[in-house]
Amino acid sequence: MRNQASETKKVPFFRKPAVQSIVASLICVLGGLLVGFIVLLLMAVFSKDIPVSEAFRGILIVLSGPIAAGNPKDVLFTCGNMLFTATPLIMTGLSVALAFKTGLFNIGAPGQYLMGAMGSLLVALSIPQGTMPAALIWILAFLAGTLLGVLWGAIPGFFKAKFNVNEVIVCILTNWIAANVVSWVFYANQEKFVNIAETKTNFIKKTISNGVSTATFGLDKLFANSYLDVSIVIVCVIAVLLYVMLNKTTFGYELRACGYNRNAAKYAGMNEKRNILLSMAIAGGLAGCGAALWCLNGQQDFKWNTYQSLPNVGFNGIPAALLASNNPIGVIFSAIFLRYIDTGGSYLPGETSFNEYVSQLIIAVIIYFAGFSKFIKDYLKKKQMKKETAATIAGDFVKNPERPIGQTASEQSAAPPPEAPAPAGPGSGEETAETASAADVPAEGKDGDGQ
Amino acid sequence: MENSTNLPAQAPGPEKEPYVIEMRNITKEFPGIIANDNITLQLRRGEIHALLGENGAGKSTLMSVLFGLYQPEKGEIYKDGKKVTINNPNDANALGIGMVHQHFKLVDVFSVLDNIILGIEPNTLGFLRKKDARKRVLELSENYGLNVDPDALVEDITVGMQQRTEILKMLYRNNEILIFDEPTAVLTPQEITELMHIMKGLAAEGKSILFISHKLNEIMEVADRCTVLRKGKYIGTVDIADVTKEDLSAMMVGRNVKFAVDKDDAKPGKVMLDVEHLSVKSRIHKKNAVNDVSLQVRAGEIVCIAGIDGNGQSEFVAALTGLEKAEPGSKIVLDGEDVTRKSIRYKNTHGMSHIPEDRHKHGLVLDYTLQENIVLQRYFEKEFQTGGFIRFDKVREYAELLIEKFDVRSGQGALTPARSMSGGNQQKAIIARELDREHKLLVAVQPTRGLDVGAIEFIHEQIVTSRDSGSAVLLISLELDEVMNLSDRILVMYDGEIVGEFDPKKTTVEELGLYMAGAKRQDRQEGGGDNA
Repeated sequence: MRNQASETKKVPFFRKPAVQSIVASLICVLGGLLVGFIVLLLMAVFSKDIPVSEAFRGILIVLSGPIAAGNPKDVLFTCGNMLFTATPLIMTGLSVALAFKTGLFNIGAPGQYLMGAMGSLLVALSIPQGTMPAALIWILAFLAGTLLGVLWGAIPGFFKAKFNVNEVIVCILTNWIAANVVSWVFYANQEKFVNIAETKTNFIKKTISNGVSTATFGLDKLFANSYLDVSIVIVCVIAVLLYVMLNKTTFGYELRACGYNRNAAKYAGMNEKRNILLSMAIAGGLAGCGAALWCLNGQQDFKWNTYQSLPNVGFNGIPAALLASNNPIGVIFSAIFLRYIDTGGSYLPGETSFNEYVSQLIIAVIIYFAGFSKFIKDYLKKKQMKKETAATIAGDFVKNPERPIGQTASEQSAAPPPEAPAPAGPGSGEETAETASAADVPAEGKDGDGQ
Repeated sequence: MENSTNLPAQAPGPEKEPYVIEMRNITKEFPGIIANDNITLQLRRGEIHALLGENGAGKSTLMSVLFGLYQPEKGEIYKDGKKVTINNPNDANALGIGMVHQHFKLVDVFSVLDNIILGIEPNTLGFLRKKDARKRVLELSENYGLNVDPDALVEDITVGMQQRTEILKMLYRNNEILIFDEPTAVLTPQEITELMHIMKGLAAEGKSILFISHKLNEIMEVADRCTVLRKGKYIGTVDIADVTKEDLSAMMVGRNVKFAVDKDDAKPGKVMLDVEHLSVKSRIHKKNAVNDVSLQVRAGEIVCIAGIDGNGQSEFVAALTGLEKAEPGSKIVLDGEDVTRKSIRYKNTHGMSHIPEDRHKHGLVLDYTLQENIVLQRYFEKEFQTGGFIRFDKVREYAELLIEKFDVRSGQGALTPARSMSGGNQQKAIIARELDREHKLLVAVQPTRGLDVGAIEFIHEQIVTSRDSGSAVLLISLELDEVMNLSDRILVMYDGEIVGEFDPKKTTVEELGLYMAGAKRQDRQEGGGDNA
């Protein structure tokens, strides 16, 4: 037997798909930062009050993220909060990434997020403290949020699968339905849920008021009393599980097949409609779960009057996913990175003459570039593919310099020698002979031995 | 006939006129391999020049060089005796070089007319003036018998008509050097004959045609001269009048090829597939695409449905395999079991193998690796998964077994992305997958489309082996050579109906052609079965 593995060429480092993805993402980030810097520079140049050096300082502050906080304790604190706020972003990023993998665009993450928040808050605040252990309430609330997310993701999935309605349209509709449903439910139950006690009437009570909060396992202390809790760990575990699910299981194999080529998936007997529905439902569940984790932290104010706006964290899942080329594990890093830049930007108004909206602009530009990341990656891939396709076609005869397709050994010996001298192939003559005889196996096998 | 040395560039022919296109000593390298090694190609004005070679011989690379897609490392291109550089397809267009690609470059959601004028839209102040263009397209279409409806959407028309649209596109642009990249791969015998007429007509008008093909019959029929490539090397240029088909094939493959398929007489066993009154709605027009078709295929026989492209064969197979819904009243019985309402998965796992017509659309997930494609219908089986986790080691093992058994060649073995494999090897991978699966019925739709003789020989042998091991084979083919060679029984489909049944030993290509064109029709007993 010929050892196929030994023939498998080593892919050069820069040709590996994973490396290309990372390179593409880095290009996006650099592009975003560059544009952001140019904007800062222009502002400085055209303003009498701002010296040009301020632009350099500004971009440095953005780049330094939480480190801009100054003294070590503040840096730690800011880092903790950065990681905490990255938690729901990772989840919405995973939500979008999963849908992308199945060939769907889940722009409904904001709605799924809102429904998830509502579900978890309703449960966490409705069950009176003491009737059951707080941990149980937490779990129920978590499940409620996730399930509402599942439901909200399943709606566009259903319409797509059943009636082939574009999921983007239904997602946008469900987003606004969610925004209004949430406002409506909390408006109708203001006394029970709204934070009147602290005269924050725009916000729902913190779940800690009912004794419900996510365990911190000392993470908050570790990061100088920040909000950080164990949810960041949960989220990372979910990301890894998702990665395993997509790449190692039959279910993930089906989902990706549907995403890459729906016709072939159907041909292969996969239930592509079911897969669309499931994919959107899981995506919704991920977003809802992210909302639940954020709300159940216990210390967070949820603004319930949402009917005029959708949460940014939902939409920001899209750049998080794009920047990570839809790799679940990559999403962890891309989401944290987005929060890192945002955190740095929040120090701009205090430290420089720029306001924090500049940081928003930089992020926006990175997001724009993230839209190109697939484009950049495709470009890198295409360039390489062009070479490889030609190489593969031509490579056929390099591997088997002697043997035309389907030729048997007896025929070969009978036939006049081809123009190339026998050992002209790569490697020694011995190797060539071995390759030729091994490759003849199929032909011999079916023709019967010794014609 | 082995013409073994690299011929020096031929001295210009007796004519004084310089070659319309001369590619001198072209060498194109890719990392690690030489795709074109010192190749010279000389095209005279008004000739049909065939470029012959197996898949991977370097034909496409050479044409890509001529079309400006690749820059050669060595060598020069001359147009009418003047040296030119072609850096991109626009340069090629400017020189009057047009190409019908093997994979069509059409916008699916545009009409035929829109596709033809795309890029050179006639307009006044930016407003389209399609009327003139339409008139011209209709004229061209009529003159050359291309029979294309300019208003049909490309996604709605058959592959054959899409091809004709591509040809029209080139004619519309008044190109004088026409490259046909395997144009007949998708055409019917009659269409091929027509195309041959068209090509001869074009050549007579002074257009020069480069005809890339590995179909020897066509080259023998239409070409004036032929340049043969093998494995990136120049083998020789010959006058067709001086050589035989066997000579050409020996030059191309480097050995003698059997054209007839070796097979014993069929020993039909029990009925494996029984189709009764199958009808399928058409997506394009109101009539049924398949109308009340009944047929039987027995174990151990190869039944071939012949017919011109677009007469309902694709729809018939789609309904048979479950990709499309059959109309009420249709009945499909597989090995005694009614599977009309069963899922594709059920049919797959209960003995139906299907080599699909379009390997890119249905046959492969191009972004998956070869090994992932090999288990496309089997990934869920116990052998390849435990507890929902795919056992990639087993998948790898199995894929490597098939790669070995069916001689599938690729750059990175089992881990090669399917997209980067050559067409012939993609097809071999599908055939390996379908034939190695346990099957009672093999539905093979144009299994050798676009493949070279070596690969065709191999695939035909595999199909016969499958038959001999007791499975029923339903072959759908547009190529009459294949139909006559391979089948034990021939059914002709015309306009969605079976119009005749033949014994390949007792019929002729001409007779089949009459039925395929709808000129004749037999009264056929429902249910099929017995030979005519």
